[in-house]
Amino acid sequence: MAVDMSMPVLVVDDYKTMVRIITNLLKQLGFQNIEAASDGKEAFAKMQEQKYGLVISDWNMEPMTGYELLREVRSADTLKTTPFIMVTAESKTENVIAAKKAGVNNYIVKPFNAATLKGKIAAVLGDF
Amino acid sequence: MATIEVAKKVKGAIETLRESNVRDRPLVEVLELSHQLADAMKFFFGSLDQTIQGEFRYIADFISKARDEIAELCPNEIRQERIPGASLELDAVVRDTEQATETIMTEAETLMGLECDDPVAYKAAVDDAMMRMIEACSFQDLTGQRVNKVVTTLRHIEERVSQFSAALGVTDAKREETEAEKRQREQLLNGPAMDGPETKQDDIDAMFAGDSADADQDAIDALFD
Repeated sequence: MAVDMSMPVLVVDDYKTMVRIITNLLKQLGFQNIEAASDGKEAFAKMQEQKYGLVISDWNMEPMTGYELLREVRSADTLKTTPFIMVTAESKTENVIAAKKAGVNNYIVKPFNAATLKGKIAAVLGDF
Repeated sequence: MATIEVAKKVKGAIETLRESNVRDRPLVEVLELSHQLADAMKFFFGSLDQTIQGEFRYIADFISKARDEIAELCPNEIRQERIPGASLELDAVVRDTEQATETIMTEAETLMGLECDDPVAYKAAVDDAMMRMIEACSFQDLTGQRVNKVVTTLRHIEERVSQFSAALGVTDAKREETEAEKRQREQLLNGPAMDGPETKQDDIDAMFAGDSADADQDAIDALFD
């Protein structure tokens, strides 16, 4: 099934520059409806108001980390199937394993490039 | 007089008093025994004074040495000048990098939105934008110098604290984990690794290659090789 490029995508990062970079890359890939949140708490609140087709989240944020957001999302009946990609500088094996066990769909270590982002989105949503 | 000798003398005087039934003794002998006891106690307290004096002298010397070592640390200079200075430098690094990033991002976004109907005008716009992006990269020289200043400050503090610690024979005390440290540990907040990602993207991709909900053990094992 073709990816709906108009579906809402939520980018979660406390660094505005990173939000801007990911947003620009997503626009270049064809996504048209991109929103942002600055931490897990704000993201979770947004997710309860609107259904997102993809969440791209950083790990290290306060007051709620991306890891906490992932676990909250996976334990909420209405949100647990939301595709979730972690984009983070946390590159220890324990982080990757913890995220995988918590149900993340894919994991990108920073710094990354457009091809990597595209490849991981395609791996999660299908080719577009 | 040695402490043991003093103690023996006092003990001897007390035993002599105990053995001689003072009620049946003439007053002269009781007085004599009292003198003996008084002498013994005099020796005892005399030695006690010397010991305490020695201890106090040692403590005073130690405090004096510690005060000299603390003075060598220049704590006021570190608190009032070096640390605020380093903090200002780091603030400037953050500000400079943000400004440069803002400039480069804005130019890039402008370029992406350019219409290329007129190739000459398009090339001129691209050249101008590229020049501004190159200029913005000059932040690296300034931030490099600022970071070097901070590193120098940290080395200065490390050196002084190490000297102080060695001079006073300080060893690290065990301490309770703070709430912030506990959260960092529980949330696996390790921060960026030195010299690039600790786990390479290819290794991570191998873990996500299958549809299994659990990490593939072979891929995980490969990460630990």
